[in-house]
Amino acid sequence: MTHTRIRAAVVAAAAAVALVLSGCAGGGSAGTDPGDVDPAGEITPREISWLLSRPADGGVITAMQQIADEYAADHPGFSLNLITTPDRPSYIQKYETLAAANKLPELFDTDATPFARKLADQGRMIDAEKLLKSLDLYDDYRPAALNYQRFDDGSLYMIPFEFQLEFFWYNTALFEQAGVQVPESLDDFPAMCTALRAAGVTPIALDGQDQWPLERYMAYHPFRTAGPEYVQELKKGDAKFADPDGQAAVDWLHSLGEAGCFAQGFSSTGYADAQALFTSGKAAVYNIGTWELGNLATENLDPAVRDDIDYFTLPLTPDAVTAANEYVTPSGIGMAVNAKTFDPLVRDFLAFALKRYPEVYAATGALSPTSNVETTIPDNATPLYERAVEQANDVGEQIAMPWDTQLDPTSNTRLQQELTLLVQGESTPDEFIDTMDSTIAQNGPAAFE
Amino acid sequence: MSSTMLPNRSKTSVLVFLLPPLLLYGIAVLFPIVQSLFLSFFSWDGITDLRFVGFDNYARMFVGDDVFWTAFSNSLGYLVICLVLQLGGALVVASLLISLRRGRELVKTLYLLPAVISTVAIAFLFQRIYSLEPTGLLNQLLQWVGLGELQQAWLSNVDTVLAAVSIPEGWRFTGLYMLIIYAALLAVPQELEEAARLDGANWWQVFTKIRFPYIRPVWITTTIIAATYALRGFDIPYLLTNGGPGQASELLTTYMYKTAFTHTDYGYASTISVFIVVECLIAVGLIILLLRRKADA
Repeated sequence: MTHTRIRAAVVAAAAAVALVLSGCAGGGSAGTDPGDVDPAGEITPREISWLLSRPADGGVITAMQQIADEYAADHPGFSLNLITTPDRPSYIQKYETLAAANKLPELFDTDATPFARKLADQGRMIDAEKLLKSLDLYDDYRPAALNYQRFDDGSLYMIPFEFQLEFFWYNTALFEQAGVQVPESLDDFPAMCTALRAAGVTPIALDGQDQWPLERYMAYHPFRTAGPEYVQELKKGDAKFADPDGQAAVDWLHSLGEAGCFAQGFSSTGYADAQALFTSGKAAVYNIGTWELGNLATENLDPAVRDDIDYFTLPLTPDAVTAANEYVTPSGIGMAVNAKTFDPLVRDFLAFALKRYPEVYAATGALSPTSNVETTIPDNATPLYERAVEQANDVGEQIAMPWDTQLDPTSNTRLQQELTLLVQGESTPDEFIDTMDSTIAQNGPAAFE
Repeated sequence: MSSTMLPNRSKTSVLVFLLPPLLLYGIAVLFPIVQSLFLSFFSWDGITDLRFVGFDNYARMFVGDDVFWTAFSNSLGYLVICLVLQLGGALVVASLLISLRRGRELVKTLYLLPAVISTVAIAFLFQRIYSLEPTGLLNQLLQWVGLGELQQAWLSNVDTVLAAVSIPEGWRFTGLYMLIIYAALLAVPQELEEAARLDGANWWQVFTKIRFPYIRPVWITTTIIAATYALRGFDIPYLLTNGGPGQASELLTTYMYKTAFTHTDYGYASTISVFIVVECLIAVGLIILLLRRKADA
């Protein structure tokens, strides 16, 4: 009896190990050559899927749905299945799990993260630069929109569908009430906050729950003092927070916390609540991109504050190495094309869709990633809308990259956590620097080897 | 043994009925545990090849990772708060319920209600309750009773956040355990209690000498269920704070989840999950040992 039981256990364990091995081995297989952007063969309409992370009723999905319907009219049997997970962390988990199982669909969204870099290295994504050039669309794109999608070595594997500018929106009436001016330098922020607090106003509305908004503030100071290279070196462990530029940035963030810049309890404030603080006239400043134009620069905005809203772009620092027209100008999460499932149909659909897209998308009032169309200003827009749209034509070359797309995920998580503690005053700048430098030293070099 | 218990049933028929659930259990529970154990000796990001690292992950977990230990002590704090609320609360409510003459069903249903509401809804509910800007229920109540200076952002304060994320979980299942304990209390023979009272036993003596010994087996089971549930607690802390601010409400489970699905460090995440399994087994062992010994004493 005992013997049988032991034998059965051994067999079961062996089977389990075998299953584990076979389950894990499926990782790195590549399909077609990622450089072959024009595969031979016939176009056979079928359903293709796009795993994406964009608002379900947003401009990109609406436009692409319309374009897919137009394409399907000429290609019976074709359909585009849009599977969206707007919540970014959930999306990333879904996409990375599917990548691990080698089950990614024809099209999928990703930022230029270390993980995406690995997929590209394994030949699992089509070379987007080659594809766009072979479709004769490459030159239509705003260089800044493409640059945002590139990996550090300049290679391009993701196609942008948006172009956004991130501004500091502010309430002129509250500024006047507190007697403060638009800050000329980032270093003026603490004084601005102190004055606003003294006037009983919440200085800055911040969605702390989603982590990335606070991480933007981490990116600002070094982008001005050291340029976009700082984070590229930092993430590999070649630059440190303990360096003068890093130290200055950490001290700046700490001073923002000390000056009470952010609403109390910001770390558990969500996206909508943060925006409501600003649009209801309770908070004076709100840092967000042009994707919110519909809420901030149209008649959707509360009439009580509508005429008091204005914006300024990322201020400089006294010794800034980047220009005033260079700030966070993302082209959103990009779309990658799965090399394994790339065939004449996928190419033909993309040729049709990407050519048609700018016109359809710009008609919704959004900024196209290409420069060959004019954005339609909605009828209910305030004058601010047009000004913001025109601002897109005056964007410099260097982009302040959001750090959450740059760092390795382990360091990124830790940074987001430590930032909250730093700004809340739970940790000192020195503790922050120690923790972060050792975390990045542990994880960064390995992720970018 | 089986022939005395089941005189008319063959071993085969017993096997036929036992095997399917056993197989299911093996596939759904044992296999993933074995798989985790296996993966815990590797470094794997999900897309490149597995790399054997021996005990590196374990060494990192025990000596090289401060977040792990923070998460571990938070998990114990979470466990204590949940157990006190769930078992203590359940016992108090069940005892009161026994002495209630009318409206028992209504009270029972009311207490059980939170257990059937979806977790996400509960998380949103408590997010509002704890909120400071705009003022939530808890801060409003403090204002009304004149304790306005205690008002704070409960989920943003590192000193209050662990309790704040544990309480919804505790509150939620109090009703469920109350029901189990209530059923056990109902089975305590009335004659015994009456006899004891006639002999002059007070309420406390009746409870400790008669009622509690009677429900001890149920109590052990309930404690084990509640403890393993609390050790596996994940959803409410994850939804309310995602472990923050900093690591102040990070539990082993949320940390493991992040390590696996955000950091794509499946090897190390498996190491943490092996630790969670071992931790649960030790907890159950301790509970059984402690409560048995008390029963013997």
